[in-house]
Amino acid sequence: MRLRVRDLVNADASLISRRCWSDTEVYALEKRGIFAKSWLFLGHESQIRFPGDFVQAYMCETPIILSRGQDTAIYANINSCTHRGLPVCRTDHGNTKRFVCPYHNWSYSVEGNLQTIPQESEVSHKPDKSQLGLKRVPRVEMWRGMIFGSFNENIIPLEDYLGDMRFYLDAFFDRFPAGIEFMGAPHRWVINANWKLPVENQLGDVNHGAFLHSAIIPREAQDTIEKLGYSVVTTPGHGATFRLMPEDAPVDEVAWGMEAVGSIFGGDEVQNYLREIQAQAVERVGDLRSRMKGLTYGIYPNLSFLWSNTSFKVSHPRGPGKVEYWSWAVVPADAPDHIKKVLRTNYSSFFGPAGILEQEDSEVWSQQFLGSNIDFADDRPYYYGLGLGEEKSHPDMPGLVSVTANEFYARHFFARWRDELQAVEEAL
Amino acid sequence: MSTLSIEVSPEQQRELERFYFYEARLLDNRQYLQWLALLSKDIRYLIPARVNVQVNNRERGAEDMISVERELEGEDSMGCPHREENYILLMLRAERAYKINSWSEHPPARTRRIVGNIELMACQDDVLTLVSNFHLYYSRPGNENVMYSGQRRDTLLATDEGLRISRREVVLDYANIELPTLGLLF
Repeated sequence: MRLRVRDLVNADASLISRRCWSDTEVYALEKRGIFAKSWLFLGHESQIRFPGDFVQAYMCETPIILSRGQDTAIYANINSCTHRGLPVCRTDHGNTKRFVCPYHNWSYSVEGNLQTIPQESEVSHKPDKSQLGLKRVPRVEMWRGMIFGSFNENIIPLEDYLGDMRFYLDAFFDRFPAGIEFMGAPHRWVINANWKLPVENQLGDVNHGAFLHSAIIPREAQDTIEKLGYSVVTTPGHGATFRLMPEDAPVDEVAWGMEAVGSIFGGDEVQNYLREIQAQAVERVGDLRSRMKGLTYGIYPNLSFLWSNTSFKVSHPRGPGKVEYWSWAVVPADAPDHIKKVLRTNYSSFFGPAGILEQEDSEVWSQQFLGSNIDFADDRPYYYGLGLGEEKSHPDMPGLVSVTANEFYARHFFARWRDELQAVEEAL
Repeated sequence: MSTLSIEVSPEQQRELERFYFYEARLLDNRQYLQWLALLSKDIRYLIPARVNVQVNNRERGAEDMISVERELEGEDSMGCPHREENYILLMLRAERAYKINSWSEHPPARTRRIVGNIELMACQDDVLTLVSNFHLYYSRPGNENVMYSGQRRDTLLATDEGLRISRREVVLDYANIELPTLGLLF
């Protein structure tokens, strides 16, 4: 019997089937309905500053070369030779004039155009090289240095896709006079989990913190989140959680980065640098957003941002039960190098493959997959009903707003997910 | 590090092995608090990230072209190492193991490590520079069993209480991390 998408997520998305997380047919629909149609994050402008610079990326399981062309424009091409399909780029990042396939030495420019076919001179019918370049990702757009690609030629512009999420992202990006940059190559690790659980976790699930991470996170931190925390959904699938600090809160309690370990060990110089950024915050992002102290952010379908431990992350699926999770340390672009080196540990100490908190997240994400892949329990879908219908609009903050315990961020994600899968299911 | 280790007497070599084997036994027996006592309070504990780097065509034919060092994003790089820790962070990791709410430690993993190829590379006054290799078998409920493999580059201090680790850099043999966590004490 075929699975029907309407049986996986109920009308108000308060009940989510285990099959959403474990079924190969569902995963095939996700590729067609979501990854073929959405804007997917590729990288940050700071990673490809100069002509010839490239980094690797993925769009779902498809390997991508993101590069800066000799014309300084940004290109994204599928990393697969037109001749026999091998990856033509075999290193994580670098600078090059051409990508060469190891098999027969077909070579491509950094923009992805086919330059030479060594065997061509020996045959009389010359292939039309202009038609044989690497497959280009048809849409590539950038906002605030963040580069996205889409296989959907007709997708709405990136800025419209991000919509009101820009208000919350700018609360971070605009805080820094020269914006942000990514440090080095992403940490990449494989977790035996479904790609949507890291996404859901980073979209708004701050309520596991004081429980799963109770060995590290004190109960008082959870009390602050309960007292000052907000969860917002700007568009289904996009959301943020943050604390809105009181107007009279001391600068050290509001400033970005102050609560993380790198800054704590970094001493006066680092802390004064952070205070200085906060001192400009009202001017740069306005009163309300200057008091925002972010927690988790999510951009549909699989980009996450962790404000408190400054990192961008992408959950790349590798089948229903496996994720290649990528994460980058993010720092203010104009910070001196030695301060950047301290600030990167705000991320790496607690998150990433060695992170003292994330080691518990990846543990439960893989345990959740085990639970989702069992038999004889399909009449026990997962309960997503906490706070059902309790989200409301807010006079000063765009989107639907609620307390962080309200699981509406996940319900909205799954309602969108269901509709997008249904659209391709019906087209079959 | 492309030189022969310095000449040591069998007794000195045995002394270094005793230290490393004791350390390995403490870690495999989950006696992390006793392990902490082997650290110098100003310890620097590092795990560089490792990447697949582009080689420079002009260096073809030279060993340097594919040197391990170029693959490492360590503390001096503008990349992001996996770990850059001090004593307090290591203490946090060690003490976690004995809290009942450290979920990823319970039930605890079974580990078994073999430390070998112990080479004393330099010795100046009380400061010893060493390299050693390890294989660490790791088995946790609900996870596939995995093998960690790497090199440790240590600075040890000879003190009145015995040898103390004042710097450790762990070079892991992975770019993509297909391991449950890099949060272990290596």
